[in-house]
Amino acid sequence: MVTTVPRTDLTAARMTAGVKRYGQGDTAVTALDGIDVSFESGRFTAIMGPSGSGKSTLLHCLAGLDVLTSGSAYIGEVELGSLSDKDLTLLRREKVGFVFQAFNLIPTLSAKENVLLPLLIAGAAHDAAWFGEVVGILGIENRLSHRPNELSGGEQQRVAAARALVSHPAIVFADEPSGNLDSRSAAELLAFMRRAASDYGQTIVMVTHDPVAAAYADRIVFLGDGRIVDEMANPTTEAVIDRMKQFGG
Amino acid sequence: MLRATLKSALGHRLRLVLTAMSVMMGVAFVAGTFIFTDTIDKTFDELFADVYAGQDVIVQSETGYDVSLGIPPPFNAGVIETVRGVPGVVAAEGSVSGFAVIYDEAGKAIVPTGPPTLGGSWVEDDRLVGNTEMREGRGPTASDEVVIDARTATAHDLVLGDVVEVQTLMKVATYRVVGIIGFGEADNLGGATMALFDLDTAQRLFGMEGEYSSITVVADSGTTPEVLTRRIQAVLPDTLEAVTATDELAAQTQSMQESLGFLQTALLVFAAVAVFVGSFIIQNTFRIIVRQRQRELGLMRAVGATGSQIIWMVVIEALLVGLVASLLGILLGFGIAGGLTVIMDAAGFSMPSTSAPLALRTIVVGLAVGLLVTVAAAVVPAVRASRIPPVAALHDMDVTLRMSDRARAIIGGILLAAGVGFMVSGLLEGLIDIGPLNQLTRVGIGAALVFLAVSLLSSNVVKPAAAVLGHRSVLTAVGVLSGLALVGTGVGLVVYGASSGVGAVAYMIPLALIPLAVGGLALYLGLTVVRDRFSPALAVQNAVRKPRRTATTASALMIGLALVTFCFILGDSIKASAGQAIDEGLRADYVLSVNAFVGGFSPQLADDLTQQPEIAAVTAMRIGYWDLDGREQIATGLDPVTADQTLFLDIQQGDFGALADGGVLVLDTVAEEEGWTLGDEIPMGFARGLQQVEIVGIFAKQNLVQPYVVSLDFFEQNMSGYGSDLDYAVAVKAADGVSPEVSRAVVEAAAADYPNATVRDQAEYRAAQEDQANTMLALFNALLVLAVIIAIFGITNTLALSIYERTHEIGLLRAVGMSRSQVVRAVSWEAIVVAIIGAVLGIVVGTVFGVVVAVAMASQGLTVLSIPVLQIGALVVFGAIAGLIAALFPARRASRLRILDAIAYE
Repeated sequence: MVTTVPRTDLTAARMTAGVKRYGQGDTAVTALDGIDVSFESGRFTAIMGPSGSGKSTLLHCLAGLDVLTSGSAYIGEVELGSLSDKDLTLLRREKVGFVFQAFNLIPTLSAKENVLLPLLIAGAAHDAAWFGEVVGILGIENRLSHRPNELSGGEQQRVAAARALVSHPAIVFADEPSGNLDSRSAAELLAFMRRAASDYGQTIVMVTHDPVAAAYADRIVFLGDGRIVDEMANPTTEAVIDRMKQFGG
Repeated sequence: MLRATLKSALGHRLRLVLTAMSVMMGVAFVAGTFIFTDTIDKTFDELFADVYAGQDVIVQSETGYDVSLGIPPPFNAGVIETVRGVPGVVAAEGSVSGFAVIYDEAGKAIVPTGPPTLGGSWVEDDRLVGNTEMREGRGPTASDEVVIDARTATAHDLVLGDVVEVQTLMKVATYRVVGIIGFGEADNLGGATMALFDLDTAQRLFGMEGEYSSITVVADSGTTPEVLTRRIQAVLPDTLEAVTATDELAAQTQSMQESLGFLQTALLVFAAVAVFVGSFIIQNTFRIIVRQRQRELGLMRAVGATGSQIIWMVVIEALLVGLVASLLGILLGFGIAGGLTVIMDAAGFSMPSTSAPLALRTIVVGLAVGLLVTVAAAVVPAVRASRIPPVAALHDMDVTLRMSDRARAIIGGILLAAGVGFMVSGLLEGLIDIGPLNQLTRVGIGAALVFLAVSLLSSNVVKPAAAVLGHRSVLTAVGVLSGLALVGTGVGLVVYGASSGVGAVAYMIPLALIPLAVGGLALYLGLTVVRDRFSPALAVQNAVRKPRRTATTASALMIGLALVTFCFILGDSIKASAGQAIDEGLRADYVLSVNAFVGGFSPQLADDLTQQPEIAAVTAMRIGYWDLDGREQIATGLDPVTADQTLFLDIQQGDFGALADGGVLVLDTVAEEEGWTLGDEIPMGFARGLQQVEIVGIFAKQNLVQPYVVSLDFFEQNMSGYGSDLDYAVAVKAADGVSPEVSRAVVEAAAADYPNATVRDQAEYRAAQEDQANTMLALFNALLVLAVIIAIFGITNTLALSIYERTHEIGLLRAVGMSRSQVVRAVSWEAIVVAIIGAVLGIVVGTVFGVVVAVAMASQGLTVLSIPVLQIGALVVFGAIAGLIAALFPARRASRLRILDAIAYE
């Protein structure tokens, strides 16, 4: 029995007039400079831009890991700026999945425990069928009893991806998930993310600077100097490279 | 290279501070001990210098040996004329000294615990008074007049013209205060109270009619004290000696220093424990630091640093930590010295105070201990650091060299065997002879080796122990129990404050907030286990993740708690043995004794009681000293006729009756040790000279008496010492058919005239003995608390460093939904698990030590082995609380980590 999330037109996450400034006075750096963006449910969006364009900051502010200086960020209809640290933690636990570039796993826990981490933290029961399906698709069912240091880099990232999906989050944020992987492992991971969006309606927002990775997405948002400079729907690798050449990035 | 080291050390200020803390506290204890004993030394130096100021020659009885707290035997006063006739003598005056207790207006004896209560005769000649100065009034001229010291006067609101009660050898009598004296700047002599009477009165009160204790002499300006001493000695009878005041001062000072030497040694033992515990923590810290800096050190190797340069880097950092910590520790020593004064005071040894001196020796020893311990502890980590290959710069891999499990087991086993060997050889002296080390040193070295061995071997028990501890019901119980204990303590403090007055409540409530707050946290931890299984599970996994690190951290706590357990068992066994001895060996219905460490009450009391028809037998006991080949021995003098009815000494051979003819009874274990048998003559050195005394009996139960017992007649002829003319205890047996109510009333009535005599029946006497043991136990445990505090710092330090290592992990956990309070709980549980492992190890090791030592001491009167299971069990809860306190700071720090910084870390 396959559990699917039906595609809807609801917005999974959005930001309005998002500004993020670090430091004060003359030394202040503006990382986000008036961002208006929304991410539809069930779609796979990539955020691209040169180093320092603010793409990671955008991801962190959307995911409730960082707080905007002004403007609003929403997950579903919940405005993040109004939440206490505790509520924000609960929101991340229940509604958000994460895949980072590296150090995704807790070394003392087995792969299975790492996959189930958000549920273990919450003390919640897991959906065994969905767990089996996710680890099956990712091909890590034989590696579940191993510790992270016994897994290859690709396996580690697949365990992280499984963790991001297993709690049925409203949205998954991925920060350069394939950045440390060889091209074959990267392709496997990205194909899985593509499939999660297409087959299971999982909303995914991924930051990357790799045109090949970005081409797996439904839509690309381009950032430059803290602003959204362009968008692209249904991208291909070639189109992305062309567009990036225009930006000089 | 040096710059790189300094930068790296200063770059981690927190780590530096936490590491330094453990060294600092050990050094502070060492320095504090020296400062404390130096202060006492200085006080007594000043005291004796005051007493002899202005005097040149002292004439007194020739004594066979210098008696502790001794007053030499009195001599015929007629000799004063001979002394006055010696050319060069300007002035000479005889005086008597003895024991006198002043009572305050409420009828309570003014008895400082420690310094003596002195009585004496007023010196008429101004040239012989030393620095004694009349503050108010005049000298005594009539038999009902007294002069007292200014401190006693001000502390107890006594003024000229007041009538006070003073107790001497005679019954309490009343005297009018006609003068108040000081001694230069000081209001009293080193804390002693003083009552001076005119010479005739003093001679009568101290039982020295027609006698002097000493004669003091002033030389004319043309005669040196040495010359005059020789001249006077030439005309004195053989029984008297003349000494210069300077020599007498030196002798007195030396004898005081010798008796203080014991105290210093005892305190240094506790200091050594603190330093030893500290060394575990330093070693652990440096090992963690080297592990954490592996990449940095690898990089240094890659760019060309040699292995020895790396060693020097770590060692220099250790020197830096050691230096800063030692200097701070020496300063903190003043605080510790103050604390020791308070602890000693609370335990009943009040010490006179003067400004605390900082001797060069204190600085040198403090620095040496701090630097040596720190550098020694850093050597192994430094050598490990030097073996890090350059490739470590490129990968984050664990390449730190470490002992294999097998090597650890072998070394641990060897250390354990050596430790046990040392302890056994110390406990069973004579069975194994291993050279010049004394028993205590051998037991100490043995214990230290056993601790090291257990520390090495215990990394193997970390995993199973944590698995047991990690069970939810265990964690809940630990949290709830320690929470209740702390909340109980907090409430107790408030109630105690409320019962002691309004002012005390205001003081107690803020004090109670600490245990209440920590207790609340413990309860919260215990009760959240049910709904949050993740945090404790993570904590247990983190605790076992580096078993050696955990084992070393736990070992620091183990040492302190093992020694506490040891004290508990020994103390309880002493109490039980003493109780059993009283139950079996006391035939008397009542015991009258003094509530002070020295002194006693007038023999008149025993005489009064003997007169009463309701009383069947009265045995007065006195305490005196004698010399056995340079070793001072304590003996009891008693009346052998009544003793058989009041005491049960369980005489094995010989009998009480033979005592009357001048023999001595010896405790069986002493006789065995010395190789004496019934009928042997032993050489007893008295102040008046050596005597061969026959052993007329061997007894087995040392009850109310010292290991040697002589008749009161023999005692009076030979023994001397401070208060030796007073009874320290009187055992009373009621006549047949007299009800307890009546006999008690009779005894109480007789004792009413002697306010420092306390009447106790058997049960009360037993309880009082137990109280005394409890006080000693509390004193030891108060001193051991320092070792526990150092261990808490160790847990905090290790935990803080571990959390620093896990920054990224914590960031990830927070990102995927772990709340701040869950982080607090996880860190707290980790510390508690480590602490409980330490506590349990400590209890096991301490119980073994306690049982072994108690069994070994069976021949020395420790007939009952008693293990206070509840008290020892409570140490587990105490350990949990220690862990929780250790976790407070790191837990807060971990929960406040900013997630993004943590994820971006590296």
